[in-house]
Amino acid sequence: MTVLILTCEQDVTADMVVAELNTAGVPVLRLDPADLPGGGVALSGEYVHGGFRGHLSVGDRLVSTSGLRSVWVRRPGVPGTRAARPSAWLTEESAQALYGILRGTGARWMNHPDAAARARHKPWQLHLAQRSGLPVPATLITTFPQAAQEFAERVPDLVVKPVSGTHPQDPPVAVPTSRVPPGADFSSIALGPTLLQRRIAKQADIRLTAVGDRLLAARRPVPADAGPDEVDVRFARTPVRWQPVGVPARTAGAVHTYLREARLAYGAFDFVEDADGVWWFLECNQSGQFGFVEIDTGQPIARTIAAWLARGTPGDGRPSEHRGTADV
Amino acid sequence: MRQFALNYARPAEQLEVGAAYTYDSALQLNVTPDGRIAAHDYGLLREAGATTSTAGSKTHFDD
Repeated sequence: MTVLILTCEQDVTADMVVAELNTAGVPVLRLDPADLPGGGVALSGEYVHGGFRGHLSVGDRLVSTSGLRSVWVRRPGVPGTRAARPSAWLTEESAQALYGILRGTGARWMNHPDAAARARHKPWQLHLAQRSGLPVPATLITTFPQAAQEFAERVPDLVVKPVSGTHPQDPPVAVPTSRVPPGADFSSIALGPTLLQRRIAKQADIRLTAVGDRLLAARRPVPADAGPDEVDVRFARTPVRWQPVGVPARTAGAVHTYLREARLAYGAFDFVEDADGVWWFLECNQSGQFGFVEIDTGQPIARTIAAWLARGTPGDGRPSEHRGTADV
Repeated sequence: MRQFALNYARPAEQLEVGAAYTYDSALQLNVTPDGRIAAHDYGLLREAGATTSTAGSKTHFDD
């Protein structure tokens, strides 16, 4: 039985899992949907006599869809985009063919496309986090300048971040989570939905990687000389490395509830830890990066993902592990 | 006037450019010029920043 990995070639983080699967002797088929068709990826599905059989190939590798044990959707390209004559229609045709055929297999997904699409909505994440019992900073998403002004009066220390988590590409710019200065003019909020959130005075960032039932958390303390404007951990130029940390039992329970409700097999949760040690939920990236955490902490995240893809999580059927590092 | 959040935009980092490894379709892995598996070289990965949570990159939709 084969593990199918949908990702781009330059995804070296996926390599960490492929290497683990190779070590375990588990067959792997790796492909980028951008290469369907014309880039070396081909497919076929036949629905006859009340049954179905299908095949996928990449180069000289060929697998039957009935031989897929799991599908890992990592960093897939957009189907059809490397064809000789790409078009929106070809992309739709290719996407429907590939993902439609895969949906009909009995393979387990990390993560299922439906769950992934829903889980990308940050407003929904906030709602689910609240329902799951995770502390969520006061947040406003609005196009009303007056609502933003009134929110700022009630919650004077705010940050702003993209609602979608994506960034403009024409031209490419990054929109980091940023502190809103006092007296900001909110009139331009009428031009587009804007997410404002109470800034948590943090003493550490927390990255919690969930793989099935397994939770592997890492903590990076905020340097003593960091200013309050240094909000976004992705832009923090600090030599401080991530360290393994245990997950508080209450947080672990809430995270499991979140994952169950979201139907996610994988999630990378971002929290900030305040001076009282409370972990405040910021977001859950359903396909978040994990390599940088493993490299710093030595936590076996890639091995845990490989184990889930190969046969399910090691913790299946057993009480969950909530330690920062856990055996596999 | 532009959208409020864009007041805080900054140039995007394109970390995937110039990576010190290439994809080997036979191995289904990226390898270094001397044939080593890139994923086993933590020093290289840290230097390349390719496993890092970033913002603004086309290939890093979910960070």
